[in-house]
Amino acid sequence: MKKLLLALIATIVLFSSCEENGEENPETFGTFQLEFDNVVGSQNMSLSDPGSGDYMYTTDSGEPFNLTLFGYYISKIKLEGPNGELYEDEVNVSANADEVKGYYHVLESNASSRFITLDDVPAGSYNKVTFTVGVEEDGVQEGAAGGVLDPAEGAWFWNWNAGYIGFAMEGGAQNSGQEEVVGDGWTIHEHSFSFHVGGWKDVEPAEGEDQKFVNNVKTVTLDFDSNVSVAENLSPNAHIIVDALKILDGVGVDFSTTYSVHAPKLGQPFAEFIPDTFILDHIHQ
Amino acid sequence: MLSLFLTRLSWIIFINKMTTKKQYAHLHILWMCIFFNFSCSVDKEASPDQAYVFVKPDNFPEPTYTFQNNPVTKDGFELGKKLFFDPTLSRDGSVSCNNCHIQGTAFADSQQHPLSVGVNDQRGIRNAPSLVNLAFMEEFFWDGGVTHLDFVPINAIESDFEMDETLANVVKKLNADPVYLELFNSAFGIDKITSPYLLHALSQFTVMMVSSNSKYDKHMRGEGETLTSEELEGMEIFSSKCGSCHSGELFSDFSFRNNGINDVFSDIGRAGISEFDGDVGKFRVPSLRNVALTSPYMHNAKFNTLEEVLDHYENGVIDSPSLDEELKNGSQLGIPLSEQEKEKVIAFLKTLTDREFISDTRFMNR
Repeated sequence: MKKLLLALIATIVLFSSCEENGEENPETFGTFQLEFDNVVGSQNMSLSDPGSGDYMYTTDSGEPFNLTLFGYYISKIKLEGPNGELYEDEVNVSANADEVKGYYHVLESNASSRFITLDDVPAGSYNKVTFTVGVEEDGVQEGAAGGVLDPAEGAWFWNWNAGYIGFAMEGGAQNSGQEEVVGDGWTIHEHSFSFHVGGWKDVEPAEGEDQKFVNNVKTVTLDFDSNVSVAENLSPNAHIIVDALKILDGVGVDFSTTYSVHAPKLGQPFAEFIPDTFILDHIHQ
Repeated sequence: MLSLFLTRLSWIIFINKMTTKKQYAHLHILWMCIFFNFSCSVDKEASPDQAYVFVKPDNFPEPTYTFQNNPVTKDGFELGKKLFFDPTLSRDGSVSCNNCHIQGTAFADSQQHPLSVGVNDQRGIRNAPSLVNLAFMEEFFWDGGVTHLDFVPINAIESDFEMDETLANVVKKLNADPVYLELFNSAFGIDKITSPYLLHALSQFTVMMVSSNSKYDKHMRGEGETLTSEELEGMEIFSSKCGSCHSGELFSDFSFRNNGINDVFSDIGRAGISEFDGDVGKFRVPSLRNVALTSPYMHNAKFNTLEEVLDHYENGVIDSPSLDEELKNGSQLGIPLSEQEKEKVIAFLKTLTDREFISDTRFMNR
């Protein structure tokens, strides 16, 4: 009965709010673009072929390496302004790929995925962007999803500990302890490494117990150095640098012992540095 | 947003419609409201066939499944059933879901397969659990590694000792089959099959596997069946000696415990998911519904009979660091049970067998 009443009230609210919008129509809208520019320290990122022994990058501790895969999920993007302006990108999980909203799979190998354009941003002034790196519990627990969350279409999904890999990098490193493994139709190359950061469960430990599970989904907030205007005739762009070295040097990775990370707890040290990895470089007004 | 709202709204109507008859009057008003505003959204649920409506039994907890994202329909259920029985889901077309989940054993494995048998006769490491009452569960598998029913089949499809296939390739095979293209189209209105719809169809079939018509249920709901005095005594003993873990109407608290069947764990169980050393050797407390049909018992199929299981709890419990506290009663490990008590408990456990469920023609491959 309660649900029924709620449904009726919701219907009324829905319609009255529609009307208000129609009558007043006070707002105009513009677009806002986020550009993710993946780099390795001062170098541009370029991906090598798996198994390549050509190591073009070096960690702080002098370990030569290359990258063959680099990417992450971005979700729940929010823009805020100095006068209470707020824009929250619509988030929706659905089996229908066209109805999946607000989840973006940014891949170095897919240039267009590095640009996220937010439409219908209310005109105004903004000075801060917040987003989530990974897919939180509310995204996982809606069940099977399409589009960038479809595991049959390239979504990064763990079956055994069901959930999405939020951040991943793979490559080769001169000192990697990985030995060659050849399976049925797949190969793990010698000296390769694979760091998959996932895990979304937030479980408070019981009294006297140690923490179980690890939530590696991170929220990043980047302040702009000045206010940015969104309006019908303006299309500002936030250029965000994503520096792989911030994670590798942050962790102080030693490839000879750390080359295969495929579980939440192992990924935790990497996840801790995710917020440092995303750096606002500049804004194009 | 609007369509999302509508989906939610029609789901609410749907649920109300099937559970409470006295609300029909109010519903008519609501239906009219909606009809005038969005006549196109109503048609689909105009007369749901009652056989394909999910109904929560009165004595059961609230379901956990996200019906709002995947309401059960006749076409979706029938498609899920076809997929469940179709070995196309496996790499070489030799293994279907039904290979390890058989209706006659309440969708557990046959007794001839104590551990799952996959493609190329590969042996799994665990006993395939019964699939009943999945709509009410929050975690799946012996280690609880999956937290949504939709994601359950992916493990079976992609495990190299089960179906040894990839989800992407199953989708590809289905898209090449005109029969499936038509069935997916009528169930979901789609022209191209994608994995979420495949998973939704399977969930529509498995979520309807509600087993709630055992002798025990009919006794509890006052539906003309009465437990014998032996069964009643068994129920009493069960509830005082087994009920702290096998609690509630699903006869499990769905926690993870080490019940002392081993002290060396080649399969670490829950610790593989929680990554917590204290969970090594812990497995999910299974529901006991239809337990008389689901032999062998335990994740590693250690026991063949209920007698062996109760003997284990009485005098076979092996100590190890993660052994459950409930099994440490003073100097003697385990649960004190006399032979007579064991017989009564087993008599009670047999009342959890649901003959209507295992002979329900909706789930048969016909």
